[in-house]
This record gives sequence, C-alpha cells and structure tokens, in this order.
Amino acid sequence: MLVLTRRAGESVMIGNDVIITVLEARGDVIRLGIQAPRDVQVHREEVYRELQSVNREAASPTDDVVEAVAKMIQPAETPDHPADHPGNEG
Amino acid sequence: MSTRTAHRPIGATMIDPSLGLPTITMAAPMPGFPAHREFVLVRLNDDGLLYAFTSVEDPELRFLVAPPEPFFPDYAPEIDNDVFAALNTKDPDRLLLLTVITAGVNETTANLLAPIVVDRDSMRAVQVVLSGSGMPVRAVMNRSY
Repeated sequence: MLVLTRRAGESVMIGNDVIITVLEARGDVIRLGIQAPRDVQVHREEVYRELQSVNREAASPTDDVVEAVAKMIQPAETPDHPADHPGNEG
Repeated sequence: MSTRTAHRPIGATMIDPSLGLPTITMAAPMPGFPAHREFVLVRLNDDGLLYAFTSVEDPELRFLVAPPEPFFPDYAPEIDNDVFAALNTKDPDRLLLLTVITAGVNETTANLLAPIVVDRDSMRAVQVVLSGSGMPVRAVMNRSY
C-alpha cells in the first residue's frame, strides 16, 4: 500500500481525473473531499461491500422464486368494480 | 398489395437481444456486477408491479425489481443533481424508480437504500446510494398494502 502524508487542504490525485482532498482532520476523524468523473462512483467501503453482497444475493432468482414473489405481491382480493360490468337490465 | 419489410440495422440487432425492448445503459455499473452495462426491463405481471431487470450481455443475469410505491407508500427518496447529470436527465418527472428485490426462502426484502433510477428519455440508469438516508438495504416486503 502506498502511504502518503497530507495536511488539511492538500490533495492526492489518482489517475488523471480523481482528486481526493483532505478537508479537515480532527482526532481520528478525517473529512475528505472527492472529485471524480461521473462514471466513477464513490462509496464508503462498507456501504459498497454491503451493496455488492445484497446485489449478488438478489441476482438471478430461480423461476420458482420469481413465481412465488409474483404471487406474493398480487394485490389481495381486488374488490369488485360494479361500474366495470354492464349491469343487468331491469 | 404492398408489403413493408422491417429493416433492422445490424448494429441494433446486436445490441438488442431480440426481446424488442429498449436497452437501458448503466451510467455506472451495479456494485458486484462491473461488467454488465446494458439491461432490458421485462415485465413479469400484468399489473406492472414486477419486472426482471435483465442483462443484455448475459440474459442469465436478472434482478427482480418493482416500483416501490405500492409496497412502501411513504418512500420518497430525494435524488441528487449528480444523478440527473449522470443520467442526462432533462425532465425529473421522466425518472422511474425501481427497488431491487431479494427473494429468500423465508422472506422477501427490498433494497430501499439503493434503488435503480431509470431515465425513460435518455434510457440511462444507475443504482443510487441514498447516503445518509438511513434507509434499509433489506426492508421486508409483505402483502399488506
């Protein structure tokens, strides 16, 4: 791992277009500012890992599971809509 | 009698895997699936409540997604300007919000922290992380709606 020392207000560049600036260091809390192109997503690592794992878990459910979910979300017993049916004459 | 022949440019055929659905391009890949950039939205039920967000490159890869409103009526995430920029959004009303469903044996959950936002005009999408929202990654879905 590359280790650099920076002061508040100083930056590090990654590649040509990612700039990470140390905004503030207070005790063990460091605030960073990150400038990156739109197609480079920036996440807190633990959030990214969690998303990765929930996405992998969600990916490619079997047909049986899909059917079960479809059934589960089927609106329960829709009330009759008398207006939708032409009434009997009388 | 005149007949019309539907000409499809070869390029379009290669992008669109015969499903005839418009291809959605990820502005950034979904975490865990860096190689999958193109998807189609396949409707799975008549009510429009369930869709399969299906990879064009690998149709075996699909995510169950649903519009969150019917299931989570109070869910109204704020979408950042950064997201509009990434999706080339001109009209925020054209954004479609989809929650990714994890179907398990015992329970089915929805990822409210990171919905997929699709711009129906630009056909670009991104899985948005609602940082600081405190939204759950696994919100239990049930039929009480």
